Amino acid sequence: MKDLKKISTRLEIAKQKIKKNSPNSKGGNTSNLGNALKISTELVAAVVVGSTIGFLLDNWFGTKPMLIICFFIMGVSAGILNVFRSAKRMNKNYKE
Amino acid sequence: MATNPMHQFQVYRIGPEINLGNINLSFTNASLFMAISSITILFLLFIGTKKKLLVPSKIQLITEMSYMFIAKMISDTAGSNAKPFFPFIFTLFMFVLFCNMIGMLPYSFTVTSHIIVTFALAALIFVGVTILGFIKHGIKYLELFVPKGVPIVLLPLIIVIEIISYLSRPVSLSVRLFANMMAGHTMLKVFGGFVISLGLLGGWLPLSFSVALTGLEILVAFLQAYVFAILTCIYLNDALNLHH
Repeated sequence: MKDLKKISTRLEIAKQKIKKNSPNSKGGNTSNLGNALKISTELVAAVVVGSTIGFLLDNWFGTKPMLIICFFIMGVSAGILNVFRSAKRMNKNYKE
Repeated sequence: MATNPMHQFQVYRIGPEINLGNINLSFTNASLFMAISSITILFLLFIGTKKKLLVPSKIQLITEMSYMFIAKMISDTAGSNAKPFFPFIFTLFMFVLFCNMIGMLPYSFTVTSHIIVTFALAALIFVGVTILGFIKHGIKYLELFVPKGVPIVLLPLIIVIEIISYLSRPVSLSVRLFANMMAGHTMLKVFGGFVISLGLLGGWLPLSFSVALTGLEILVAFLQAYVFAILTCIYLNDALNLHH
């Protein structure tokens, strides 16, 4: 019985130590770098996809410069939307 | 030959040429290194789970840590609904990680520095997640493209933008991994070439850079595998729990 009490106090102390250390010991550091790498490609990828769709549709309909311009602009907005969304997700994770 | 920094990415045939119709199915160095990484993973996990000690050995510890890492990642990002997909994400993470890490060994080949490999993985995820979403929600899955509270006038424009944003997922997923791995390995090779050309007198500076970059590349190799897996979880989350 005595041993059990001892163990529970030690467990309590250990838990408090973990709690104290957790804001300082960041595992977040690497995932922040991961986020930075993630966002940069997200913007570019949407622009590339948008322009490709515009180019293909232009070839298909024979409306050479018009659709690629429209879809390029929409691709840029989609890219900004992507970045905005992942920033929002990061913010949510940070608050929790 | 050795001074060309792009030479390391060359794919060549090992063994006999196998043709199936018009498709060249020969065993290449890329296939060899994929096989090596798969076998390494299987071997590691087999050894790690063979003896179930109460106080784990080092290999068992690595195995259990990788399990916990992925399990926690899935429950954090995709919720408890995604539990059945644990084997898939674990396999994906371990495969990408080991391909990246084995590519860091001298004289080896980095499988993930070829866009066709990463794009095949990303396309598999994209198609799988889309099919899963349609199975789970039926035609209502298309609501993903229609955000709430948008005026009807703007709706056609928003839907197109949302579709482009959705289609850009596999592109960003594959380009990120491929570009990071290829750029890193090219840079290492270029700095290695500087060491040779500057000789004994001036070669020390690029050599020290090379050592530092190797450390950075190992970090990037891990990080890219992590990002790949976590984005798969996020896409899975979108398909399983339909809301923004």
